[in-house]
Amino acid sequence: MSHHHVSFKDLPEGGEKFDPAKASKVIGTFGALAAIGLLGSAYYAFGTHGDTQKGFAYSWLYAIFVGFTFVAGGTFWILLHNASNSGWGVAVRRLFENLGTMALPLGILALPLLIPGVQNTLWEWFGHHRAHPGLEGLHHAAESDPHLHPLVDKYGYLNITFWTIRFVLYFGILWFISTKLRSYFLKQEADGDIKHTVYAREFACMVLLPFALTVTFAAVDWIMALDYTWFSTMWGVYHFAGCAWSSMAAMLLLVIYLQSLGYLQKVVTGEHFHLMGKLLFAFTVFWAYIAFSQYFLIWYANIPEETRFYFIRNTGVWRNVSIFIVIGHFVVPFVFLLQQQLKKSPKFIGFWAAWVIFMHFVDIYWNVIPERAHSMGLEPAPGSDTPFLPGAWVGDVLALCAVVGTIGYLYLRSLGKHSLYAWRDPRLLESANVRN
Amino acid sequence: MSNLKRVHGYLAEFDNAQDLYHAAEHIRDAGYQRWDCHTPFPVHGLDGAMGVSRSKLPWLVFFGGMTGTITAFVLQTITQTNFWRDNMGMGFLQKLVETYPTVVQSKPTGIWTLPAFFPVMFELTILFSAFTVLFGLLALIGLPRLNHPLFTSKKFAKFSDDGFLICIEARDPKFAQQGTRDLLEKVGAKNIELVEDDI
Repeated sequence: MSHHHVSFKDLPEGGEKFDPAKASKVIGTFGALAAIGLLGSAYYAFGTHGDTQKGFAYSWLYAIFVGFTFVAGGTFWILLHNASNSGWGVAVRRLFENLGTMALPLGILALPLLIPGVQNTLWEWFGHHRAHPGLEGLHHAAESDPHLHPLVDKYGYLNITFWTIRFVLYFGILWFISTKLRSYFLKQEADGDIKHTVYAREFACMVLLPFALTVTFAAVDWIMALDYTWFSTMWGVYHFAGCAWSSMAAMLLLVIYLQSLGYLQKVVTGEHFHLMGKLLFAFTVFWAYIAFSQYFLIWYANIPEETRFYFIRNTGVWRNVSIFIVIGHFVVPFVFLLQQQLKKSPKFIGFWAAWVIFMHFVDIYWNVIPERAHSMGLEPAPGSDTPFLPGAWVGDVLALCAVVGTIGYLYLRSLGKHSLYAWRDPRLLESANVRN
Repeated sequence: MSNLKRVHGYLAEFDNAQDLYHAAEHIRDAGYQRWDCHTPFPVHGLDGAMGVSRSKLPWLVFFGGMTGTITAFVLQTITQTNFWRDNMGMGFLQKLVETYPTVVQSKPTGIWTLPAFFPVMFELTILFSAFTVLFGLLALIGLPRLNHPLFTSKKFAKFSDDGFLICIEARDPKFAQQGTRDLLEKVGAKNIELVEDDI
């Protein structure tokens, strides 16, 4: 075997520092996307009125949730890595740590969701709560409008104060977990003590549950609650699967890009692409399993209050998107990611990682946007059977550009602050020489 | 019983896993095809050192699994829907098995009842894959068999305790009584034994 065994002599002292100037093209592209997106979003948010402005609230929620899935996914992978005491990923773990810390800027971008007008548009229950304050008020109103009964029953969870606390907690928890975990290894880079690895493991085990609750209830609060009468117990797991899937794909692309710039040459090998590709494959299957379980139970049981979600997505134009998701989100990546040799090739895995990210955008779009036209009470245009807010897709694209551009820009620049990998981690060599 | 014996090959012993690993690299580079290593525990990277190519088993399993999916799909749609009659023009299939389209919760009797059939399609995919793994593996490695020529060697039992053994078989085109022995000696083998099997 010509496989060269990497030792500490091959690795630079102090790790590899990323120089953002080298990646100025990509960082500049993200910056330009962010600028165009933010300007366009500002126009939609403040320069338009009526339905166009209201519809843009959905665009922004969509974009924020896409960003959230990537950040939560980054946090998940470092948690899993530390809690399971694994060694293979030390060479790429720092990239995930940095992705998790993007929870803070994302939280700032998400602030518009705290504006009462936006909340009343997106989540009808906010409007009802504001019109009939307090449990007593809701109870009273429910006597004349039976549709409000669920809100009375759900008052302990769905109320504005608790919702706002949770909103802050979601971003706070993700940010705290990822910064804390990264800080253990930054301390280790200063003193080289193995105890930090042990602390990180203990910490990761302790925050696994808070993390799981964060992802679950963020998805419930922001997307499921778009229709307060609808519920699905698979919801949190469904979006967790999307988080892990999309962030792994993003990090695969990043590693390939960094290698093309000359970084990570010694510590990351085809074996890492294979391992990350395997996880990508695993979550392709896991997502399909969860998505189908959720669909199957609701479709088969055929209970009116449950079927509404799939009814609006399985009729008209959205039906085509649903079928496209089944094929593009599961069948096609499944078949191609199945082969071992192909997963070791950066070109191949890079293409499928890009495809995965695209399909993830489509998946979240399909989760958030169909609700818009129905919530706003729009009728289908003549000759169509699906209601749409005309031209709203422009706002969706602009919002996505704004959030993905801003987070991508800040993220790539943040890579330069520390070494690209934990260079004094006791298992760095194990990771660099990993075979599977 | 005849007194004739058939040469099975050379069985050579090595001191440890490292010696065996490097010897395997040399034997691979010398171009031998029909040979194998026997160790008490798995040696990481030995497949690479031996130059073992990828098994064909995954391809068998892929098509085995697909057979399962298709079997489940066809069986269920023939017996429980009107898909083959209405969409494929193959109504005779349904007559053949006397089907009753199953209507549950007012589901359609066409192809769009498909989700209801997924669990069985999934299960049969797994079942057929598992069968292909097991029986394909047995076929590829030539099991079950009643005996093996290597069992005639007293030394061979050590492979499950502390022996690191390499056997180069006589049916290898490169096998030569003296040449192969020289090669094994050169790569550091101890106790080279010519294994002969009763005919």
